[in-house]
Amino acid sequence: MISRRADGVSRRRFLRTSVKAGLAATAFGSLPIPSSALGLDGHVAPSERITLGGIGIGHRGTYDLGCFLEQKDVQFRAICDVKAERREAIKKLADEKYGNQDCERYRDFRDLLARDDIDAVLIATGPNWHATAAMAAARAGKDMYCEKPCTKNIAQSLALVETMRRTGVVFQVGTQRRNLPHFAFACELARTGKLGKLHTVFAHPMGMTALMSGWLPPENEPAKETVDWDMYLGPAAWRPFNEKLLDGFNFEKGGGLVGGGVLEWGSHCVDLCQWAVGADGTAPIEYNPPKNGQMTARYANGVKLVFRETGWLPLGSCPVRFEGDTGWVEAGDSGKLVVSSPELLAGRTIEEIGGYPATYHVRDFLDCVKTRGIPKGNAEAACFAHITCHASNIALALNRQLKYDLKKNGFIDDKEANRLRSEALREPWRI
Amino acid sequence: MARFSLLFRQAAAVGMLLAVCGVARAAGELKLQTEPELLKTLREGSAAEKALACKQLAIVGNAECIPELAKLLSDEQLSSWSRIALEAIPDTACDTVLIDGAKTLRGKLLVGVINSLGVRRSSAAVDVLTVKLKGDDADAIAAAGVALGKIGGDKATSALRESLASSNRDARNAAAEGYILCAERLNASGKKNDAASLYNRVRTADVSKQHLLEATRGEIVAKGNDGAALLVEQLKSHDRKRFNLGLKVSRELAGQKVTDALAAELKDAPAERAALIITALGDRATDKLPAAVVDAAQHGEKPIKLAAIEVFGRVGQGAMVPALLEIAAGDDTELAAAAKTALDKMPGTQADSDLVHRLSSTHGKSLDVLIHVIGQRRIDAVKDLIEIYHGSDESARNAALLALGSTIEPQDLPLLIKEVKASQNTQDGDRAEKALQTACVRMPDREATAGQLAEAMGGASTESKARFLRILGAMGGPKALATIAVAVRENDPELRDVGTQVLGQWMTADAAPLLLEIAKSPAQDKFQGRALRGYLRIARQQKMPDAERLGMFREGMEISKRAEDRQLTLDILKRCPSAETVQLASSYMEDKQLRQHAVETAIFIAEKIKDKDPTAAKLAAEKVLKAEPTGKLADRARALTRAQQ
Repeated sequence: MISRRADGVSRRRFLRTSVKAGLAATAFGSLPIPSSALGLDGHVAPSERITLGGIGIGHRGTYDLGCFLEQKDVQFRAICDVKAERREAIKKLADEKYGNQDCERYRDFRDLLARDDIDAVLIATGPNWHATAAMAAARAGKDMYCEKPCTKNIAQSLALVETMRRTGVVFQVGTQRRNLPHFAFACELARTGKLGKLHTVFAHPMGMTALMSGWLPPENEPAKETVDWDMYLGPAAWRPFNEKLLDGFNFEKGGGLVGGGVLEWGSHCVDLCQWAVGADGTAPIEYNPPKNGQMTARYANGVKLVFRETGWLPLGSCPVRFEGDTGWVEAGDSGKLVVSSPELLAGRTIEEIGGYPATYHVRDFLDCVKTRGIPKGNAEAACFAHITCHASNIALALNRQLKYDLKKNGFIDDKEANRLRSEALREPWRI
Repeated sequence: MARFSLLFRQAAAVGMLLAVCGVARAAGELKLQTEPELLKTLREGSAAEKALACKQLAIVGNAECIPELAKLLSDEQLSSWSRIALEAIPDTACDTVLIDGAKTLRGKLLVGVINSLGVRRSSAAVDVLTVKLKGDDADAIAAAGVALGKIGGDKATSALRESLASSNRDARNAAAEGYILCAERLNASGKKNDAASLYNRVRTADVSKQHLLEATRGEIVAKGNDGAALLVEQLKSHDRKRFNLGLKVSRELAGQKVTDALAAELKDAPAERAALIITALGDRATDKLPAAVVDAAQHGEKPIKLAAIEVFGRVGQGAMVPALLEIAAGDDTELAAAAKTALDKMPGTQADSDLVHRLSSTHGKSLDVLIHVIGQRRIDAVKDLIEIYHGSDESARNAALLALGSTIEPQDLPLLIKEVKASQNTQDGDRAEKALQTACVRMPDREATAGQLAEAMGGASTESKARFLRILGAMGGPKALATIAVAVRENDPELRDVGTQVLGQWMTADAAPLLLEIAKSPAQDKFQGRALRGYLRIARQQKMPDAERLGMFREGMEISKRAEDRQLTLDILKRCPSAETVQLASSYMEDKQLRQHAVETAIFIAEKIKDKDPTAAKLAAEKVLKAEPTGKLADRARALTRAQQ
């Protein structure tokens, strides 16, 4: 095994100690159920807290972690990152918060997952790792909050939902807008027929381009303890160290072949459109390449999904718009929504929460960890929203219309498109 | 070959290797190379070129390239690139070379080819994978187990079954994972009994706890209603993970038998567990909750009550309405809030009639709650509410007034208008205003409703007029705007105050002329500045043609005096990026008050137009650099000049 703790303790040796430590934690007395039924608010004894580990905690991850640390029923116990600098920063953050030195550091997430005393993990690596790490976490029985985009291709999307179902863990993808009142209300209006017969949903793609990864000239590779390049590459095909790839925002986002803005932003906007259409368990059946600045897809029920970058009301980033034959609604990151008629509000005041905070989404996840319920950004919803993005990207990359067979999960009569549904992972990784 | 957006060919041609960051091309700009061209690269190219050729071959490769790809399987740097193609090319020769690789490779490279054989579901690989499953390389054993599980079929299943009893723990766990995958496939194809049998074999084997849990879950689901006993066993377990598994599966497994089994568990379960079981029962697709849940809600400990109340809110149960009303009117604020929420959310029209039916028999605080709930649910009970409104119970009257706002129809709107006009104190007035506003924004004919309010303003007190203006602001529309215009021209400071506040939040561009009129008015009062900012907000935020927006920009610049207002005015230009607006923004760099803001605006616009009009963007960036900006602004300006070189 290549797995090593950051301080050099072997994985096998570590397992011996963690098993002992885990015995106490697995006794039913440590079940993290607080005094009230759903454990909301109130002080929670450490033994009743949900114990959390972090995998790949950089800029976004630190924000997410902040949302977790705000919760009284969370105890953060371990950080894994391929970079020493980040490991140290997060350890400092956690130790200062708890006033101890307990936060363990790992370079290999498998060592963290092997700990029996960790209930859940926050996965905020680059997208290259999301699906592989998430499925490894599930096989280790950990619940998880995983950042988006959480898959690199269609095959990974399908494997993700199957793995989460099979292993019985709680999975929440970082689509935090599902837990913001104005987006939720907009989706509800569409889904419950308040806009009449829904005919078009609009998503902002943030760039209709196909991104790809590659191979840059080699540079001197840092010491493994400083940056573990092999673990950074992980499931991505091998290439020499080059600092530009490290922290490359788009590194292997879409399997190194496609997956530009449509996936990056679509995993939010398309996800909301899917929710509005009531399509959490399905995806469009037809995908069209860009034309006149718009890309479209069509669901089996005839509803059209439109990707467009212009023509939005000034409601902030990540806008979505849903149109039915009697009304429409548009919402964005400002926390505001606009409806075609005040009647749609039915006298309700929708709480305006701007700035798309993840706190509510994190809370939803933690509540589901306790109840074993289904969080808003569950694996099935994530799977099909991502399939929609991947299929759109393939249509964009091939520059032709594609038809998708939802039963076979394949493109109809298009061999090239079908070959883009999956991509081999670098050894020894698998999903 | 279709046009395709890939950079491989270009990279190979210029000998430049690709960066991942920021590499973006529009679809259809480049073409894929042909298989013979890529084959040549595989034979003669550098490692980087070979790697990228493999990615293209994943799409265009066929039998011809397979031998060359096979040679790369033993290359530590290129093996995974090679497998990208070999996993994707449908030809069975790929299976053959991967099987050969499985026989000769060691370590991680071996694991890689085993994984690829699993992805390809290569039945020809079962023999070699069976050998690996019995080997001594723990990683290869684990990979082989999963690969066999993915391949499935009698032969693979048999090999896995044998290893489940192996003396090697790694082999047992690998076999368990593969065996569960086989069972999953059988279950999905409807062979439930066969699947249950496979799950059971893993569940009773000496394998890791996670595998035991997965097998247990699978067996319960495959058995359906007959799995209820095994499910209950989990819910009774002192092991937290097993109990959690039971909760999870409780939501997956349909059937009355399962519901009954879960309900039966409530009797003996500790409070915390009972609460979680109730929540799980609420998540099951059922329209009637078991009596045990009703009983638990009424007589259970507080955590149980809270869980049950929340579930009643989701599932609905008419019989629970009186109990919920009582709890909602009770002294325990946590339970009361939960009960109100439940009553508000409870689904179904039956719940609506149950609630209305109880109006005549409910009293005191419970009646207030009931009226509030009727309003929140927008139940058609106007007649009853009006009766209560005309009654003597003041508390109920107040609740009824608010509920009428949510439920009243157009013909009864005068009742609420009258209430606003007749209000004797601020508290009554606020309540009446809230009710009327709730009603007005719901009315189907907005213009007619605005007309009613306009008419009502005649003879109303200034305070009532102000209330009507706020309501008109919430409604929007031409008639409302015209009514507000009349009011703000009356020169009554109070009405001008409310009117300009309302106009400052107006959601459509048609308020702009009125706001401009106020901003330019000779009266030197505080409302001019407010109107100006409202005007600028419309120009910055609302949809309109670019020419109109530019016109508003010019007006804004002409009448703005304060630096902050001039900066807001400059922001308008960001909404219509063009060569003209970037030039306009640049022209304000000379203005000391606006210099920094003009620089930011010019860079913002230049970045927007750089693809469409590179010359104008470059000119603007150069002008910005002459203004000697610092930090990120300077970097952005320099980037713009570089992009044009």
